[in-house]
Amino acid sequence: MTTDAIAKNDYMKFVTPALTCVILAGLFLFPRFVDNPYALHLMILLFMSTIMGQSWNIVGGYAGQYSVGHAAYFGAGAYTTMVLMQQWHIPPWYGVLGGMAVALVVALVIGSICFRLRGPYFVLASIAVAEILRLSAMNLKDFTNGAEGILATDIPPLTVGGQVVTDFLSKVPFYYMGLLLVILTVVVTYGVQHSKLGYCLQAIREDQDAAHSLGINLTLYKNVALTISALLTSLAGSLYAVYIGFIDPPTVLGLDISVQIVLICIIGGIGTLYGPVVGSLVLVPLSEALRSNLISEAIFSTGIVTESSAVGTFLKENLAHAHALIYGVLVVIVILFMPDGVLGFLRKLMAKRGNGGRVGAPSVCQAKETSGGAA
Amino acid sequence: MIVFFQSLLSGVLIGGVYALIGIGLTIIFGVMRIINFAHGDIMMIGMYLAYNLFTLAGVDPFLSIVIIVPVMFLFGALLQKLFINRILNALPQNQILLTIGLGLIMSNTMMLIFTSDYKILSTTYSSSSVNLFGISISEPLAISFAITAAITAALYWFFLKTDTGQAIRATAQDREAAQLMGINVKRMSIIACGVGAALAGTAGALISPTYYIFPQIGSAFTLKAFVITVLGGMGSVLGATLGGVVIGIAESMGAVYISSGWKDVVVFILFLLILLFKPSGLMGKSRT
Repeated sequence: MTTDAIAKNDYMKFVTPALTCVILAGLFLFPRFVDNPYALHLMILLFMSTIMGQSWNIVGGYAGQYSVGHAAYFGAGAYTTMVLMQQWHIPPWYGVLGGMAVALVVALVIGSICFRLRGPYFVLASIAVAEILRLSAMNLKDFTNGAEGILATDIPPLTVGGQVVTDFLSKVPFYYMGLLLVILTVVVTYGVQHSKLGYCLQAIREDQDAAHSLGINLTLYKNVALTISALLTSLAGSLYAVYIGFIDPPTVLGLDISVQIVLICIIGGIGTLYGPVVGSLVLVPLSEALRSNLISEAIFSTGIVTESSAVGTFLKENLAHAHALIYGVLVVIVILFMPDGVLGFLRKLMAKRGNGGRVGAPSVCQAKETSGGAA
Repeated sequence: MIVFFQSLLSGVLIGGVYALIGIGLTIIFGVMRIINFAHGDIMMIGMYLAYNLFTLAGVDPFLSIVIIVPVMFLFGALLQKLFINRILNALPQNQILLTIGLGLIMSNTMMLIFTSDYKILSTTYSSSSVNLFGISISEPLAISFAITAAITAALYWFFLKTDTGQAIRATAQDREAAQLMGINVKRMSIIACGVGAALAGTAGALISPTYYIFPQIGSAFTLKAFVITVLGGMGSVLGATLGGVVIGIAESMGAVYISSGWKDVVVFILFLLILLFKPSGLMGKSRT
């Protein structure tokens, strides 16, 4: 390492915590200065997406176990919280704990079944279990109202020792809850990444058989990773259910949700602390822009298509329904051209820039290594 | 007893179409070792083709397969050439995600064009049935089963007797050895993907008179296709045929003896049990 690089390292050591503090302070003060409900809504969506991505990352990114059935935990959190609130009038902050308990049970069952399988078989089994849960929610009409879904009538105010903390009438309490959960998941992920657990998980990801022969208990570590991931995902599910106030089987237990959770990580960068954050920053604004017709309005403003023409009305009516199209296009682009996600792609780009004229051997080697022989 | 035979027969009939979907998936997996998560969506495109040929040009859905087979073959070949070919050596996870992405693009494009409304293709014979020894057989299902049987027979002939079919089987068995024997494995991959897509499209056309047609129908059939291929053994055409019929029967028995809402749960539980206790599938080929 040259002196130059060491200086840069020291600099980064100082800058990273400072930057984190500034961003955190900004996020905490955000609702004080912005009271536009749509802006707050967007931030809450970003938080939920980050929580979901970050929690998937623990089992998918670090342990390399690509679960495409995370809707099971999301739905477990959402349904338990809502059923407890609507049927038994248990306030959601206790319901959240119930959701975590259910998610824990589901995770242990799924773990004991699916971790015997590897690769594509594991993916298929995880999908199958999530589908069984979705169909159960569809059919257990006494508990879940079936396909009609559950509508939250009113949320009781949160009181601590007789003092009303918040009455949940605005979006602000949800904002802070989301923010706190994001911090929690990031801290947990950081903790996992820098502990023995994290190193064992990464060893499993790189080579299961080698890890096994080194004495790493595969089943134990995989299950621990899945349990942590499931608990955090169920928190996101509970937050979603209480915030949106309505759930039904396809929106919280559908295959789409599982795929979306994976995409957040794939697009940002798998197995990195900031990947899910970047992925959410890419995905949420894009899909919101499509959903709220910003894209078609942008097309109209260019003047290529007028709003009153046949194509214009068609776009306006249909583009909003196809926000999932953007997920498809993004994932194909990312897999084909940036197999390490946006974050990895940017890093590689920076590494090339940093090397200037002398395109050093290290960056080329690394690029080859990390792309996993995709060429 | 009559109920039992009735549900057994309708299970076998629908199982024939499932087999067609499963065979397509298993061929693609066999040759390229890629699990095609867009398979149900390809089938959905076949359904829409049949629907539009019927409503716009008045072509009978069963006749329309004459057009749908070549169109879907080209579509599959194009998919292979443009996308799947590039990720043959990528991580299995990335392969799965790419096909999931392609499936999302297909279903959402269809939603853009045809909206998410449920469409019904009603022919004159859609709800008619034939009575055989007291068991009533739905006419469209019976016709589609006959066509499925003919196509499956033609496929067996293709794989066993023709040079191309044998070359595809050789590629599936050992890609490198096949290449050393002078087989153009790239071309075989394109053909295999085309055949897989054509089979899925045909299955879509065959079930279009009996099912609702909507853009999101694909994922349910993708899952069903996996269950079928895993049940029969990944990569085995005979296994997929058998698996399709077994799943068809399990579904229709589940619908009759448990409830129609739980019939898919029966299928998934069967799937998990197979994965756990006989992961190589019924036909017992090796797992890798």
